[in-house]
Amino acid sequence: MEISATTNDNISESSPSYATKTTAEISSNDNLPIAQAEIIIEEITRNHKLLHRHKLTQDNICIGRGYQNDIILADPHVCPEHLSLSYADNTWRIHDKNSINGTVLEKSRGKKQKADQQIVNDGDVLILGKSQLRLLFTDHQVASTVAFSPFESLIDFIRHPVAVFISIALFMLIAGNISYLNQPTETNISQLFVGAFSMSLLFALWPIGVALMSHITKHDPRILAQLGISFNFFILMWLTDFTEEIIAFNSASHSILGYLIALVPIALTFSLLWLNSYIGFHVGAKRRVLVALSITILLFGGTYLLEYSKKPEFNPHPQYNTVLMAPHYLLAPTNTVENFLTQSNALFEQANKAAQRH
Amino acid sequence: MKVFFTLVFIVFSSTVFATEQAQTIFAQLTPALYQIKLIDKASGEKSSIGSAFQISKDGIIATNYHVISSYARNPEKYRIEYLDYQGNTAQVTLMSVDVINDLALVKRVVNADMPYFRLAKSPPIKGEKLFALGNPHDLGMIVVPGTYNGLKKESFNERIHFTGAINSGMSGGPVVNKDEQVVGINVATSGNQIGFLVPHDKLVTLFTDYKSSVQNRNTHNLPANIKQQMTTQLFTNQNKLMTTLLNSPWPSKALANKAMIPIIEVPFIRCWGDSNADKTDALILSAIARCSLDENTYLSSHFFTGSIEIEFSYMQAKSLSNNKFYHLYQKHIARASSGNRAGKNDVSEYQCHHDVVTPSSTANTAQTITNKSVFCTRAYQDFPGLFDVLYLGASIDKNQQALVSHFTLAGVSQENAMKFTGKFMEAVSWK
Repeated sequence: MEISATTNDNISESSPSYATKTTAEISSNDNLPIAQAEIIIEEITRNHKLLHRHKLTQDNICIGRGYQNDIILADPHVCPEHLSLSYADNTWRIHDKNSINGTVLEKSRGKKQKADQQIVNDGDVLILGKSQLRLLFTDHQVASTVAFSPFESLIDFIRHPVAVFISIALFMLIAGNISYLNQPTETNISQLFVGAFSMSLLFALWPIGVALMSHITKHDPRILAQLGISFNFFILMWLTDFTEEIIAFNSASHSILGYLIALVPIALTFSLLWLNSYIGFHVGAKRRVLVALSITILLFGGTYLLEYSKKPEFNPHPQYNTVLMAPHYLLAPTNTVENFLTQSNALFEQANKAAQRH
Repeated sequence: MKVFFTLVFIVFSSTVFATEQAQTIFAQLTPALYQIKLIDKASGEKSSIGSAFQISKDGIIATNYHVISSYARNPEKYRIEYLDYQGNTAQVTLMSVDVINDLALVKRVVNADMPYFRLAKSPPIKGEKLFALGNPHDLGMIVVPGTYNGLKKESFNERIHFTGAINSGMSGGPVVNKDEQVVGINVATSGNQIGFLVPHDKLVTLFTDYKSSVQNRNTHNLPANIKQQMTTQLFTNQNKLMTTLLNSPWPSKALANKAMIPIIEVPFIRCWGDSNADKTDALILSAIARCSLDENTYLSSHFFTGSIEIEFSYMQAKSLSNNKFYHLYQKHIARASSGNRAGKNDVSEYQCHHDVVTPSSTANTAQTITNKSVFCTRAYQDFPGLFDVLYLGASIDKNQQALVSHFTLAGVSQENAMKFTGKFMEAVSWK
């Protein structure tokens, strides 16, 4: 195939007239070096998403709503005999058949012009009625092959039905445990189970929503992979919360570790969104990072703004860390009264400064 | 029946006698009695009223600090006016205050020497008949007969316990004995004929200090000086209170037979207890001991200081896992708040610090306690050097038992706050 293509080029450069003749004469014979009319026509949406792809090997192509056409479009704004493409002198030319709504040719640079009698270049888009057709030649450059990333094997593992089941079960276990700990009165197992079950249903809305989105945008939904990934991250979030509590419990005010651990949920959210997008949508690497980053910023920035706007101008109540945990979670050495008092002494200066600000 | 008639007669006759006496007193002293009004400059209407009485021939009038507190805190917003028995109104100047004893001196312009109230030389005797004068609820000047019942027990700053109806609006009015000498100043009521008066000697001290300061400086007392005066008084008073507390014995007492808590042995701090032993469905058994100083210093209607609260609560899980017990315990300590009211124009927001602390020595050193300790403080805006502090210690060294030790101090110096906190932390332990 490669050889015939090179020959094609050679021939078309040296004697174009010969090429046209032979195409018509020996279209049935593949063995001969010929300048074959070959074009790929893609029906695309306005967002340039692929709907259908046609590969045609004839030098006259009729496009329209009528059933006699080579490409039949169901668009009511397209005429029954709308336009034709003809191959001559090694080029494709557009002939508008006096269509009512006309045809527009959009060059790859985004320039639009009337399509009639124009020469087609690789990648041009025809706009007829409300439909769009992209015209491509066989030598169109395609993007380089995307290698399987290490995530693939991880995702394959996570999306296994057993793995998904275990993730959701673990999630329910944690949810049940949390509601058990928070319940100030006696609880029974069935109450906890119902609570945990509805919690997991609620949290399943996210991966299901993402899968639905990728289905709508003509991608593979991969619902199990989305469920598996999302629930694993929800569990990780809870683990982070728990670690955060242990750190807050073991450390004094303003510990660096406490500030660092607060960044973990942000990183986790970003990773989850990135993986959601990786599984559900085929987009460029840069765009994927950008989308994941924007949603993360929107989520955390929005939450921060909301809290900030709710914050009263003056809070008469003290805000202090209340985390208490059972004795075996206490890992750090304890402080002495003298040190505690010395450190508390610094607060008076802070309070004085705060009082003077008014 | 005969007995009944006799009783009624006795009661009736004594009432008649009291009324007659009251009328005489009222007639003689009326020209020196005033109603004090705080006028809001912007609206031109009165924002608060109280009673007052003249104590010198040159126009010094005594009243309660709380009657004129809005002016003392916001001199730009208000002016002070008096209304005398003839309906005359004129502006007066604030000269001096005693914020601790709720007293204030204002000065009116006088053209000639005027009649005034004499201050008694000695306190009344228990059971003595006294007459409270004032203008309750803006209804006009009245006389209320009542009885002197000594000084209020268990109070840090002395107050006279007066049996007689004192109502709002009478604040700042004088209470006189049958010789028409001032023995107290109306200040508060607990309803049902229980009234409280500021002893006259506080006024004597304030007046004497004022006279000597006028002699020395011969200047007007500017609002800035009033603020300075209040700061000094608050500072001195907290020093007196905290020194008394720190130097008093702090004997240990068992709480629920499991924890050792300090009880400060001073009469003005009183303790109360409670437990949920009767609630069989509760997951946690809890016993609480609360001690507090039942008085506070009025600075303005939304700003009080001088209060002290100490609270201990012991908790024991009935049949809970350790984690659940600690989870519920955490909720219990989440809402500690200040013991006194203060607004954004009075104090800063609280600044807090927390850590896990094990005192090296406690009341019962063999059974030391490890606490998660929280210390918070906020500074006063107008009274530099004074702070409200809050401490909360939550034990974290027993699986199924917990002890919360907590106190709040209002309007104390940094030094006193730290001394108290240190002593308190080392006074709590397990039994």
